[in-house]
Amino acid sequence: MTYQHSQPTRRVLESLVPVICPPEAMELGLGADIVDHVALTMSSVPPLFRRGLVLGLATYDLTAMAWPPARGRRAHQLPPDLAERWWERWHHGLTPVQRELAKAVAQLLKFGCYEHPVMLERLGYTPAAWIDQVKRRRLQVYGDDIRKAEAAVLAPDPLRPPIRKKELG
Amino acid sequence: MVALPKSAVSQGRIPDRVSTRSTLHGDTVLDADVVIVGSGAGGATLAAELAEAGLDVVMIEEGRYWTTRDFTAEASAMTRQLYRDGGASMAIGDPPVMFQEGRAVGGSTVINGGMSWRTPERILERWRREAGLEHIEMPDMAAHFERVERRINVRHQDPETIGVDNALLKRGADAKGWKIIPNLRNQVHCAGSNNCAFGCPTGAKQSALVSYVPRALHYGARLLSDVRVDKILMHGKRAIGVQGHVVGEDGERGHRVVVRGKLVVSACGAIHTPALLARSGVRSPSGRLGKNLSLHPNVKLAAVFDEPVRGWEGVHQAYQVREFEGEGLLFAAVNIPPGVIAMTAHERGAELGRMMAEYDRTVIAGMLCEDSNTGRVRTINGRPQAFYQLAQLDAEKLIRGVALLSELLFAAGAREIKTPFAGVPALRGHDDTRALYTRTIKRSQMEVVTVHMMGTAAMGSDRTRSVTDGHGFVHDADRLMVCDASLFPTPIGVNPMETIMALATRSAAHVLDNLSRYQ
Ligand SMILES: Cc1cc2nc3c(=O)[nH]c(=O)nc-3n(C[C@H](O)[C@H](O)[C@H](O)COP(=O)(O)OP(=O)(O)OC[C@H]3O[C@@H](n4cnc5c(N)ncnc54)[C@H](O)[C@@H]3O)c2cc1C
Ligand code: SF4
Repeated sequence: MTYQHSQPTRRVLESLVPVICPPEAMELGLGADIVDHVALTMSSVPPLFRRGLVLGLATYDLTAMAWPPARGRRAHQLPPDLAERWWERWHHGLTPVQRELAKAVAQLLKFGCYEHPVMLERLGYTPAAWIDQVKRRRLQVYGDDIRKAEAAVLAPDPLRPPIRKKELG
Repeated sequence: MVALPKSAVSQGRIPDRVSTRSTLHGDTVLDADVVIVGSGAGGATLAAELAEAGLDVVMIEEGRYWTTRDFTAEASAMTRQLYRDGGASMAIGDPPVMFQEGRAVGGSTVINGGMSWRTPERILERWRREAGLEHIEMPDMAAHFERVERRINVRHQDPETIGVDNALLKRGADAKGWKIIPNLRNQVHCAGSNNCAFGCPTGAKQSALVSYVPRALHYGARLLSDVRVDKILMHGKRAIGVQGHVVGEDGERGHRVVVRGKLVVSACGAIHTPALLARSGVRSPSGRLGKNLSLHPNVKLAAVFDEPVRGWEGVHQAYQVREFEGEGLLFAAVNIPPGVIAMTAHERGAELGRMMAEYDRTVIAGMLCEDSNTGRVRTINGRPQAFYQLAQLDAEKLIRGVALLSELLFAAGAREIKTPFAGVPALRGHDDTRALYTRTIKRSQMEVVTVHMMGTAAMGSDRTRSVTDGHGFVHDADRLMVCDASLFPTPIGVNPMETIMALATRSAAHVLDNLSRYQ
């Protein structure tokens, strides 16, 4: 299914990018793309999990207001140092639900960050070029063998003659 | 330029006998001799064997028919397309275990690593002894394994496809004097593109998609892809067909599909077979349906070297370290794309950036652990939910595995190793490795994953302790069969695909020998 973030969900996720992703993600202006990628991933996870995440993010945002250092602000409104501390409180939270939510959200953001083409390029990760190169080499070097193997996929098995249809009644 | 061969698998077209959501325009009712739900390792093998023998077979697959041309290195897109739940399925427990299964024509074989190993003899002997299975030991099974190995081309890699990460694993094992063997894989001149987990873009990996499925179609089988089976139709205790619906592009329910068959087979994998049976009202008098879930829990570590590794260049898992096989531990090098590595890392922020900057000098290595505990699959509102509690014994085995594998990687020249244990600082040498044994590491600190789910409709001769008989026929039901990883009475300690295929071959022979029962 196609899932799109609501504005409040998007705001919380955007505020978490600098907490979770490496600084260069923000420096390169990738925050919005990363949050879009989270939406793509969320569209393929089980619906219950997705609903849990959305609800969890809303709770994460709102409950910050009751945390004295936040002075009544929501999580997405916190300055960087407090945003970090608030996330850490959840990451090491007292309840497994808090800990699992913090972990899941961090995983989604990190995945989005390191799936971004700009970040991949910076790592020198170039799998498409490698695939192209070895695919071509395979066909050039082993073409005959490959053709034979493909024919064998369909070749009848001498050890098991077909049952005549009349035996099937 | 050398002319490239015309390759059937690289043509990128959907064969004629395959119906998809774009061709299933109205409600559909079909009749067949055999209807098989699921087209993965078990389902496709059975379909090909029975179709070749002349039976009229219909395969039904919830996933889409992708062709070799569709497969790329775009991890995120491929995961969403080929993996159920975007690869984020979770078994609930301490720790939660993230598991992955394929949802595509060809099932999990489309995204698997291609490791192809026979069931160890000690496991077959255990199945005879503990589950009372007959004709299951190697002298009887050898012919089935050979047949599978011929069909899917099980062989060693061409040497030029082995990359630096695997060479380093071998260097480390050799330095320690540990047993390391080249992996057997189902491939025809694998190019070493390292894309197995996102579909083989060369067609070299002989997944069911390019081996058993085309073979089944060639011998007359029909395949309905994009169709999810909701339930097995029962007449009393007899299975008479299945009912399902076309799955739309966005997962929406489409037209109704009914396929009537003289024999109905569930080959949905170890998570979905128990759910399908439960949704259909099938009860096992043993109370074991959905229970006995084994997982081969798996953890990974990341070892940084000073030399360039570029782990994505060369086949993954070219070798297996078998030194600790007796303890139920196998090690291998398994490159993983940056997004997935970052996702499972404990680091964040600048620290994550520093770690990832060394990605091209990192060897990712993992282990398979033969587990001693079992979990279960419950069916909640028709959907399966797995529960699994990692045994303390297995947790200790994983810690030992990480320590041993770290020793190997340091022997190969690693500078630093990140463990799969949250809160444990990176290891910098043998002292740190040894300290792992005495450190308290709780199960909740472990990042455990798996791709080997087994055992939830186990075979056995005793109907009070097993779900199916020794050929996969459900006890106390008629003409209803299971043919997938659910059948394993116990975990097997090696990669399961070939065992599933060999059991399917064996079940097909049994069906053909007893055809008069299904007229
Ligand atoms: C990433 C990964 C790597 C792996 N690497 C290896 C390896 O190297 N070697 C090895 O031996 N094993 C490996 N495995 C495991 C191996 O691939 C599986 O154990 C094997 O494919 C399971 O076979 P199966 O027939 O039980 O199920 P699957 O192959 O998973 O097939 C089940 C099919 O049933 C379909 N289905 C389920 N429910 C329904 C429904 N209601 N209606 C219609 N269709 C349905 C699914 O969509 C799926 O396509 C790996 C698995 C994964 C995920
Ligand atoms: S490594 Fe080999 S089998 Fe795997 S995807 Fe690449 S060519 Fe195919």
